Parts: sequence; C-alpha cells; structure tokens
Amino acid sequence: MKLLWLLVPLLVVAGAAPFVVDTYTTTTLTRILVFALLAKSLDLLVGTTGLPSLGHGAYFGAGAYAAGWLSIHVTASAPAALGVAVATGAIVAAVAGSVAVRARGVFFLMLTLAIGEVVQQLAESWGDVTGGSNGLYGIPALQLGEPLISVRSLYLLVLAVAAAGIAAASVVAASPFGDTLRGIRDNEPRMRALGYRVYPYKLAAFVFAGALAGLAGGLIAAQQRLVTPADLGYGTSVPALLAVIIGGEATLLGPCAGAAVVVLIRDALGPSLGGHGGLVLGLVFVSVVFILPGGLARAGRRRP
Amino acid sequence: MPAWLDTHLVSLLNGLAIGSLLYILAVGLSLVFGMMDVLNLAHGVLFLAGAELAWAVAGESPSWPGFLAALALAAVIGGAAGLGLSLGTERLARRSHLDQALFTLGVALVIADGLSAAFGDDVHAVNPPPGLAGSLLVLGKAYPTYRLVLIAVGLVLAVVTSRVMERTSVGALIRATVADREMVAAAGVDERKVKLIVFAVGSALATVAGVLGAPIYGARPGLDNTVLILSLVVVVIGGLGSVRGAFFGALVIGQIESLGRALLSDLASFLLFGALALVLIVRPRGMRS
Amino acid sequence: MISNRFTRRRLLGALGAAGALAVLPRCKSQTGGSAGGGGRVKIGLVVPQAGVYAPLGTDMKRAWDLWLELHGGKLGKLDVTTVVADEGESPQSGVPAVQKLLQNDQVDVLVGLVNSAVALGAKDMVKEAKKLLIVTNAGAGAITGAARNPYIWRTSFTNAQISSVMGTHMAKLGSASPAYILAPDYAAGSEVLAGFKKTFVDGGGQIAGEVKTPFGKTQDYQPFIAGIKSSGAKAAFCFFSGAEAVAFVKQYAQFGLAAEIPLYASGFLTEGSVLTAQADAALGIQTTLHYSTELDNPANKSFIEAYRGKYSATPTVFSVQTWDAASVLHRALATATALDGDSLSKALEGVGTIDDSPRGPWSFDGQSPKQRIYLRKVEKHGTDYVNTVVTDLGVFAQVS
Repeated sequence: MKLLWLLVPLLVVAGAAPFVVDTYTTTTLTRILVFALLAKSLDLLVGTTGLPSLGHGAYFGAGAYAAGWLSIHVTASAPAALGVAVATGAIVAAVAGSVAVRARGVFFLMLTLAIGEVVQQLAESWGDVTGGSNGLYGIPALQLGEPLISVRSLYLLVLAVAAAGIAAASVVAASPFGDTLRGIRDNEPRMRALGYRVYPYKLAAFVFAGALAGLAGGLIAAQQRLVTPADLGYGTSVPALLAVIIGGEATLLGPCAGAAVVVLIRDALGPSLGGHGGLVLGLVFVSVVFILPGGLARAGRRRP
Repeated sequence: MPAWLDTHLVSLLNGLAIGSLLYILAVGLSLVFGMMDVLNLAHGVLFLAGAELAWAVAGESPSWPGFLAALALAAVIGGAAGLGLSLGTERLARRSHLDQALFTLGVALVIADGLSAAFGDDVHAVNPPPGLAGSLLVLGKAYPTYRLVLIAVGLVLAVVTSRVMERTSVGALIRATVADREMVAAAGVDERKVKLIVFAVGSALATVAGVLGAPIYGARPGLDNTVLILSLVVVVIGGLGSVRGAFFGALVIGQIESLGRALLSDLASFLLFGALALVLIVRPRGMRS
Repeated sequence: MISNRFTRRRLLGALGAAGALAVLPRCKSQTGGSAGGGGRVKIGLVVPQAGVYAPLGTDMKRAWDLWLELHGGKLGKLDVTTVVADEGESPQSGVPAVQKLLQNDQVDVLVGLVNSAVALGAKDMVKEAKKLLIVTNAGAGAITGAARNPYIWRTSFTNAQISSVMGTHMAKLGSASPAYILAPDYAAGSEVLAGFKKTFVDGGGQIAGEVKTPFGKTQDYQPFIAGIKSSGAKAAFCFFSGAEAVAFVKQYAQFGLAAEIPLYASGFLTEGSVLTAQADAALGIQTTLHYSTELDNPANKSFIEAYRGKYSATPTVFSVQTWDAASVLHRALATATALDGDSLSKALEGVGTIDDSPRGPWSFDGQSPKQRIYLRKVEKHGTDYVNTVVTDLGVFAQVS
C-alpha cells in the first residue's frame, strides 16, 4: 500500500520532466520508459511464473515491425499502430510459446534463445516485408489527432501507454491468476497434484507477456522511427533479462528500476567509457547476483 | 567416384573440419552441463578470447613458435578462467541453476567487453602457420591443408578424451557424477575437485579451439555469440555429459553448417534451430540419452 | 548479517550516486538558436569508431582532419569545430549518434556515414531538423534517389553505379560469360548485383548462377565457392567489403579457384587495409571504382604525399570521399548566407565542377557525384600490393 503513495508523486515528476530537461534527456527518458515496459513484461515470465526467457526480444521486435509496417503502408494512427503491435506480439508469442513452455528451467532458457535467433533470422531474410538488414526505415510519426513530431509530445504518449502497460502487468501479477502462476513457479508437481492444468496457464502467461512486449515494441518503433533485426535478438533479450534481475524479479517496480539502470549505463555512461558500457553492466550484474540476490528492490530488506 | 560425391566432396570435408573444431569447443560445455546442470554461457567468449590471443601473440602471419605459444597460453588462460567460473558457480550452488547460468552470463558480458577494450573491435585475420597455408589435392579436389590438419587434431582429441573417459579413474568418476551426483557424494568422493578439473579442462579446450579456429574464423566481436549458440546446439543434440555424444553432435552440426549451407543456404539456420527445438521438446537430455 | 547489510547498502548507495551523476548534467533547459553564429561553424562528424567498419571510420576522420589542418582549420571563412560521434556498426547505434549530434551538440552540418541503413534511418530526422548532411560513403541508391530530400548530399558513389560499369565491361569482353555472381545478403549487396545484372545481360552476357551469402555471419565461404565451381562459369563477379572481402578472397585462392575462374568485383573488394591482408591471394583481381591510389593527377599526388607524411599510411577511397566533402563544404560556405540546410543546399547546387579532387574532376548530379569510373587490377610493386589503373571506363552519373 505504501508504494501507491510513492507512485503518484513519481508520475507527477515523470509527467513534468520534459518541460524541465533538454530534448536529448527527454529522448533518453522515453527509451527508459519503453524498456521498463519490456522488462516488466519479462518479469511476468521470469519472476511470477519462473520461466527464464533469453528470447523475449523476439516479441518486442515483432510488435515493432508490425507497428512500423502499418504506419508506413496503411495508417500512422497511434491506436491502430499500437493495437497491431500488441496483437502481433501476442500471436508470435502464442506460436513460440506453444512449443517453448513444454520445457523447463535451463532448457526453457536455451529454447527461448534459439527461438529468438530464428525470429531474428526471419527478419533478416524476409526482406520484402521487413527491409532485411537495412531495417524498416522512414516510419512516420504516430498520429493522435495530429502527428506527434515533437519529442515532448511523444514522451507524454509513451509515458501514458507504458504506465498503463506496467499497471496491467502489476494487476495481473497480483490477481488470483498471478497466484496460480506463482504456485507453478514454486512447485509445479504440487499444482498438478492439486488438479491444475499447468500448460494452459504457462502459455497464457507467455502470450500476455508477449503482448505487452509487442506494445513496448510499437512504442520503440515510434521513438526510433526505425526497426532493425537487432531489435529482435540477443542484443535486446539479454539487457531485458539483466534489467529484471538487477532491479529485482517479482517486485512491483524492480524491473522498471533495473531498466533505468541498464539504459543509463548503456546509452548515457557507455559513450563516455569509449563504448564499453557492457563491461560496467556485466560487473553490476555479477555483483547483484552475488551480493544483492533479489535485486535492487529487495536491497534494503532484512533477511527473514 | 559417383557424381554426387564428386560435387560435394569438398563440402563434406569442410563439414568434418568444422565438426572437429566444434567438438574441441563443445566437449567441455557438455561435461560441465551434464555433471553440474550448469549452463556455462561464458563458453563462447572463451573461444573468442582464444582467437584474439592467437592474433595478438602469433600475429597475422604466425611462425610455429608463435602459434604454439598462443596454444599454450590459451590453455593456461582458459584453464584459469574455468577455475574462476567453477569457484563462482560453486558459491551459488545452493541457489538455483538459473542463478548459476546468469552468473556465467554476467561473466561473459564482462569478458566480451574486456576483449573489445583490449584488442579493439576490428576483425582480425590470422593466417595458418608456415607450411600449412597451401592446399592439398584430395581425390582431385583442392582443399586447404590447414583444415585437413584440423580434422586430424579433432580425431586425435576425440580418441584421447574417449580413452580418458573409458579407461581412467578420473573418467569413471566423471561418468558416475553425470549419471548420479548424489550417489558419488554419498560414496565419499569430493565431487568439487572433479567439477573443478572438468570446468578447467573444458574451458581450456574452448580457448584452445579459439586459437585453432583463428585461421578459419578470425577474431571479431560477435563471434562469441555465434559460437555459443552452435555449441549449445551440439551439446543438446549430442546429449549432455557425454563425450561420444558431443562428437556425434559436432559431426552433425558441422555437416549442417557446411553441406547444409551449400545445398540450402539460408534455410540451414532454420534447420539448425529447428533441430534444437525438436530435441529439447522430445528428449530434453539429448538424443543419445 | 550486519556486515552483509553494510555491503548491500553501500552498493545501493553507490549505484544511486552513479545514476544521479549521470542525470544531473542533463538538467538544463533547452537553449534554442543556432550554434554557428559569427564566424564559427560546428560540424558533426559521424563515422564508425568501433565495430567492423572502424578502419573506414579512421580513414575518413584522418582525411577530414588533414584537410582542416592544411586550410587553417577553416571552411569558407569560418572557424570549424568538429564534434565526432560513433556511428557504430548498425542503425541501432548510428541513428542515435546522429540524433545526439543534432539534439545534444546542436551541430550545423553533419558529415559522414558509412552504413546505408543508418543514412536511410536518419533521413527524416535530418529533414525535420533542416540541417545539411553530406554522406561520405553510404552507397544505397535510395538516399539520393527514391528516398531523397534536399538536405542530403553525397560525395561518394551509388552501389549500382560502380557495378553497372563492370557489367558493361565484362559483357564486352566476351570471355567473361557465363558469369557467376555473388554478394552478401543485405541491401548494398542486392543493389550491386542488380546494377551489374542489368548492364551485363543487356550487353549480351549470361548469368551462370547467383547467390547471396549471409551478411556479417559467414566466415566460411567454401559452400559458395563449391557452387561457383560446379556452375560452369568462366568468370565470377562479387561484392564484399571489410573482413568478408579478406575471407572470401583468401578462400577463393585456397580452394584453387583463383587460377581457374578469374574474379572481378566492385572495387571495395581490394581497397585499403583488406588488400594488405589478402596479399598474394588478391593478385590479378580486376575491379571498378571511382578512385585508385595509382591515379596519375597532381591533386592525387599531393594528397597522398600529405596523407603519408602525417599518418604514415596510404589513403583509401574512403579518405578521398571525406576529403572531397570538406572541399565541397568549403566552396559552399564561401557563398552561403546562413548555416541552415536550405541555404547550404542552395549553395551546393551552385558549386559546379570539383576540379582539384584526387579522384579526378567530378560534379554533382542529383545530389550525388557524376564521376569517372576506372578499371583497376591488383599487382605487386616491390613489397606493396596496389590497384593499378588499367583504363578509364568513362564518366557515369548515379545509378539506382
């Protein structure tokens, strides 16, 4: 409950930010918000259901490509583009998930990694639709009534959508459905013994997480105005997983905090380190795994 | 010689060469995974480290002393890295296998960026050592000498590892640990020492594979990911914790990468991952288990 | 337990402090207005400093720095401040780099770009900011073709421009048909092959086979070399650059094809540092390009002398393209009234023939160079491998 008291001022500060800081910082904040949504969606799998995915970027990228393609060829209306992004993320996740959730633990990890690579390969080969390795460029600005060209207005849209997505994920995690998922995470055989059909629950979680990832993808397409195969693969999936673990899996805002850390280290700190943000990120990650198990969000708590 | 063989002989040979390299690389990963259920995601960067080492120590046109020095250094550094990884995962042994895998992922990121900082981001080409840079005629087709030597090295190593596994007490211990870890501990053996040795030797082999592979693959950022995924496929298809399985898997993947790409081009990638997915679903512990 | 908590709190505090430090300098209000008022111009040089294209970026920056040094650090009459940003390997790093130069550093003019995907990805950003971008490498036809806008000019080439000239030449030879063609599977590769095929087939040539190799992922070309061999081709035409060029050329020789099936290519196959790496394997390869270090004109001689003197290295076509960008900007800034994209674009239209370029005289045609294309052959002069100029194939405008 006391976290809710924190949320209101947080949202106010976030909403006021673009009026206070410069354009470049606003752009960085926009990317943080998108990544936070992606991380939160991944947490539904990793933290709540105990399914560690190393290929979540595939659904993010699929949503991005769908939104981008629609914006270029049909309409750049924001609800349409984002709607298509959600739907595409969900569909690709449904297809991949039907296969992936049959595995568990580290095998699930490997399988999602392989699936992510296949989807990235698909994006590179299917040049007619995705633009191949050049990517989908020339994506017009999203329209909400009028085109959102200014960095500030795009930020506000992203803030609203990301906040809604994160809220949805939190609500689902806190619901009885979420309780079932946690039960599966903690003791799958017992859940089966209790009569739960585990496969549909895991698949549902996978699809929902994929849908939210797709939504985040739609937002990144609007922000970057460009989608490339790199948005689908290892280079997106690994930082997403890092964000969840660093911030704290299965916590309310941990994944979002982790996302901020990852984006800041990579984009803000990285260039001044000669492009070696990855080194710092890796070190932070290893430190968290050893010294702060449970991530930043649980750092202040006592051990039970 | 039948027409089909005539056309594809070189591709078949190439598949053997790639398979040899993959075997040297993947055997360590397979044993570590089979013994401790630890997925060592840092295995790919060890290969890259070996490749960069080959370039740095032996240079673009290596002499024999240079090349051998690179091999020796790679073994030592790889072994040390393996020790470090083993100790790290040991500390996390009471936590989940996922945490151990994530630890190796973090280490992989640090090493990958460290390599980029130390050696730069350019692609580095390495020539084979003197005398091995030309081609030989195999059944009338020109084939690079170095790759033929690589096939031989891989076969020798396969025989050696097989002997060690079947005929020595260490090998017996490893096979026992793969089969039933708790039983081995109950029998009073300090399995941690066995783990340490396997991790160190496996990692040393991966780094040495990087040196051996440098004249073919060079050294470039991103090679670690490519190679990690290939070795994962080899290990899963061949079976975890099995030296023979790793050999079988390496041969299969080697042919897919070579003959497969010649015949199917882009589809070869899908074939690779499709095979991985199929095996993971049907028989999670690999085809030979 | 207590010591654990201290460790955790300290770590948390350190992370928080680091985060705050990273964000604090950014909390300033947006300053509008131009950055180049009164005698100064701010140029954003966006070149690869990391990744597979890093060597090209080095060549480009060197040429840029050299030009400024030889001209008192001025373009036109304005003092130049150069801000460098790392284009990286892909649009994922390149487009944010352009964005940073425009939004954060507020540059007046952008120069650079090796990767066509980055150029295409950033074009809208450049158009909306109304700033001039001079592309010093990226060869996609669309940049100054289907996707063009008045703010993007180019001092390099188009992919099809280089390969179509080779197509005509090989068709005329007669002995180079049927030909097997291959290139990496990405936009530039496709454009090169399409440009080649059109003129080659129109000139009566036959294609024995065509393959696109996985881009950036292929280290082992044996499967494709096997395909060339079994196709019955009398010649091969290819396009590879950077590390792929090194690997392909070496393996082409290793698998015995260099002696049997002559190799032709777009000049990038043997340009710059890759030629040194290929060594003997590259001998005899014929390529088309708009530049060679062996060109015999005074501008080239003095350029090479100055470059070697300062850097102890030989320039490449990438250096020349950037050198010409400085030269062209110098002419434009001498007549332009303001630094925004519209004024500079107008000034560039009136620039005319660039007659002191190391590549020979050239001019803009549709915002991209109309220039001489040379037929080159790899030979060994003493201990150096060079692309000797066999003949001048004529002047060509951009081809999409």
